[in-house]
Amino acid sequence: MLNILIVGAGQCGNRILDSINNKAFGGGRFSKYYSKQKFPSRVETIAVNTAINDLKEMQYTKAKDRLHIPHLHGVGANRIVGKQCFIDNKDLIMRTISERGNFDVAFVITSSSGGTGSSFSPSLIKELKNEYDFPVYGVVILPFREEGTIYLQNSAFCLKEMHNSGTDGIILGDNQFLKYAGTDIQSAYDGINSMVAERMLFLLEALDSEMMMVTDLGDFKTVMSGGAGIATIGFAKGDGNNSIKSIIQESLSPNGLLFSSNIYEEGSRAMIILRGDRKYLNIDDISGQIDKLSSHIGHVFKGVIIRSGEIPKVLSVITLENTVELESLYTLAVEAIQMEKEKHDRMALQKETGTAFSKIDGLEPQY
Amino acid sequence: MRVDHVVRCNLILIIILILSISTASAFNRYDENIYKGDGYQINNYFIEVFSIKSYEDNRLLTINIYKLKSDGTYEELIVTREIISNKKITKYQDGIVEIIVKEKNCTSTIATVDITALGIDVENFQPVKGGVLKAKFIGEPSLLLTKEVDKTNVEIGDTIRVTIKAKNVGTGPAKGITLNHGTTPGFTFKSAIYTTYPEELAAGNPDYTQMYIYEMEAAQSGTFTLIPATVTYYCSTYDSEYTSNSNSPVITVAKEAVETSILELTVTPDKTELRRGEKVTCTVSVRNTKDVPASTIRLDMIYPYNLTYESGCKDIKIIDNKPVIQESVYGARYENEYDYTFLANEVGIFNITAKVSYKDGVNNIINETTSDMIYVVEGEYDYLKEYPLYVYIAPIIIISVIAGWLFWRRNQFKM
Repeated sequence: MLNILIVGAGQCGNRILDSINNKAFGGGRFSKYYSKQKFPSRVETIAVNTAINDLKEMQYTKAKDRLHIPHLHGVGANRIVGKQCFIDNKDLIMRTISERGNFDVAFVITSSSGGTGSSFSPSLIKELKNEYDFPVYGVVILPFREEGTIYLQNSAFCLKEMHNSGTDGIILGDNQFLKYAGTDIQSAYDGINSMVAERMLFLLEALDSEMMMVTDLGDFKTVMSGGAGIATIGFAKGDGNNSIKSIIQESLSPNGLLFSSNIYEEGSRAMIILRGDRKYLNIDDISGQIDKLSSHIGHVFKGVIIRSGEIPKVLSVITLENTVELESLYTLAVEAIQMEKEKHDRMALQKETGTAFSKIDGLEPQY
Repeated sequence: MRVDHVVRCNLILIIILILSISTASAFNRYDENIYKGDGYQINNYFIEVFSIKSYEDNRLLTINIYKLKSDGTYEELIVTREIISNKKITKYQDGIVEIIVKEKNCTSTIATVDITALGIDVENFQPVKGGVLKAKFIGEPSLLLTKEVDKTNVEIGDTIRVTIKAKNVGTGPAKGITLNHGTTPGFTFKSAIYTTYPEELAAGNPDYTQMYIYEMEAAQSGTFTLIPATVTYYCSTYDSEYTSNSNSPVITVAKEAVETSILELTVTPDKTELRRGEKVTCTVSVRNTKDVPASTIRLDMIYPYNLTYESGCKDIKIIDNKPVIQESVYGARYENEYDYTFLANEVGIFNITAKVSYKDGVNNIINETTSDMIYVVEGEYDYLKEYPLYVYIAPIIIISVIAGWLFWRRNQFKM
């Protein structure tokens, strides 16, 4: 049994972590009262945030698993402040993690654009890699492109710092790509969180299955070590009528991926896990699709989990050599940084040339 | 001279009158045809053509005269017989009574005679076939008189109708009947309804004859035995007068009723079937049915142990833990209603009694009335009491454990 650590940093990380815990309870609103979490491994979850309100909003994560870093009510999307805050509270965070025992793998879930998660995650991964020898993966959610310049530049620097932090891989999710998951912004966020949580749980099961023809943590590490260290996850499930072939194809299609990518062009390595009743899992169809994918990207790990009576589900983990979408994100980020810099310069110049207030310098009020 | 003439004329008239009277008392029957063996009855005397014997061209007629007796027998009287002009004259004489039978003609089967009876007030005379054996004794009359009243318990001022009837239970006719209905002190004669009673009642009629009807008014209270009615009558056969008295009905006359008040009560529950724990409201209606006020009224409710008085109208006061209504006066024709609400504590069948006591103007009166039966069945949740304690304790423990678990669990997730 694997020992898995999942850290949710910042508001986005907290919510995805809470959704993972909810689904581990069974997914019901009140399941936490009567159900036990059904993680396949020993999973420890820790939510870290400087904003206590975000921690309080969590419903399915135990209070003892919520670590509040006292810094007013958040770092205000300022990564410099956030990083300093992490440095100031690093001992508390690392002590909290160490108290949870030894782990075989860790995932740090965060948004790239926010304050606490964006600034804490690269530093936390770096600290974890310095202190422990288990692989640490970042699960990073990219922002809506129209959310603003600060979020874009935060994302750019977060990803870069995380990539340089020594992480064993970054799994990308993209709000911009997934924003159609809900009819409004709240349901969209909830839908994205739920999608990420569902894939994460599937992944954890795939890493720790004792059945034959399954993948394991080693396979996952191999996959994640391929390419540019950037990966995404695809997912699809059947309805009992469609073939496993089509389900695999859907999981690899843009509709099934967390991050927009042409995996046949951009993929490096992949791991495909199929789960469901034996009757749905046609080996020829599966082999055909695996062969097709491997002919494009190279090696593909395959795992099959038999579950009687269950409709088929497919999870795919694909590492990317390069990604057009990420390039475009960075292009936008550069523009955003330039815009912010120009604004900053303008304000500095304005401060030097004086403002309307300077017109009354030296004068006194007369009564 | 003139005076003598007047006296002489008067004497002549007196003699003529006396003679006419004595002539009027004679009984004569002429040319009476009587067959041999038959006879002729005059009162209790019987003249019988005993025999007609023929020899040569002559007929020898034998007339016997008998006296009938009350026991049904008869006595042949000693008669004198003489023949004048070849006609037989049979004569009986005893004191002033004299019976003479003169033969006028005679065949071998029938005799034609003239009959003269003197000294007899003849009431009954008739030919009788079969002779003396067929004659019937004429007895004395005896009137049975009854006095009937239409009511025997009356109050002063009430009218009583009195009917007097009579029946001749004797063997002879009653004649010259006069009736005295008999006025009883304490009653006032009001009017005669029927007065035409007969002067004569023949014997042998089994039915009563209505004699007199009158009405009288009770004038005094008390118990009165009416004075019997009296009839007087006579029978000329025996030349006697008789008197008969009726019975004497007893009449009780109460004092004149004094007008008093009467309070009528009704108790009406709003429902007759209810569950334990429910309430029943009884409406007590009190009504003075008279024009006289009632005073010192007290209305009590008598209800069983399984009811508890809950509330009622403003007139109700609680005295000794019981609802009581006290009023000084109920005027003439006064009506009122009072509501009482009771709580049914126990299952059972019962009724509620309203008891009113009052002074009706003369006496202290107590009147009670009872409602219809009221059925109290088990309450909606009474069955819960039938279960053992653990039935309730166990769920409470389970719920408590669940609640504790939820509270503990909730705190695990509360920051």
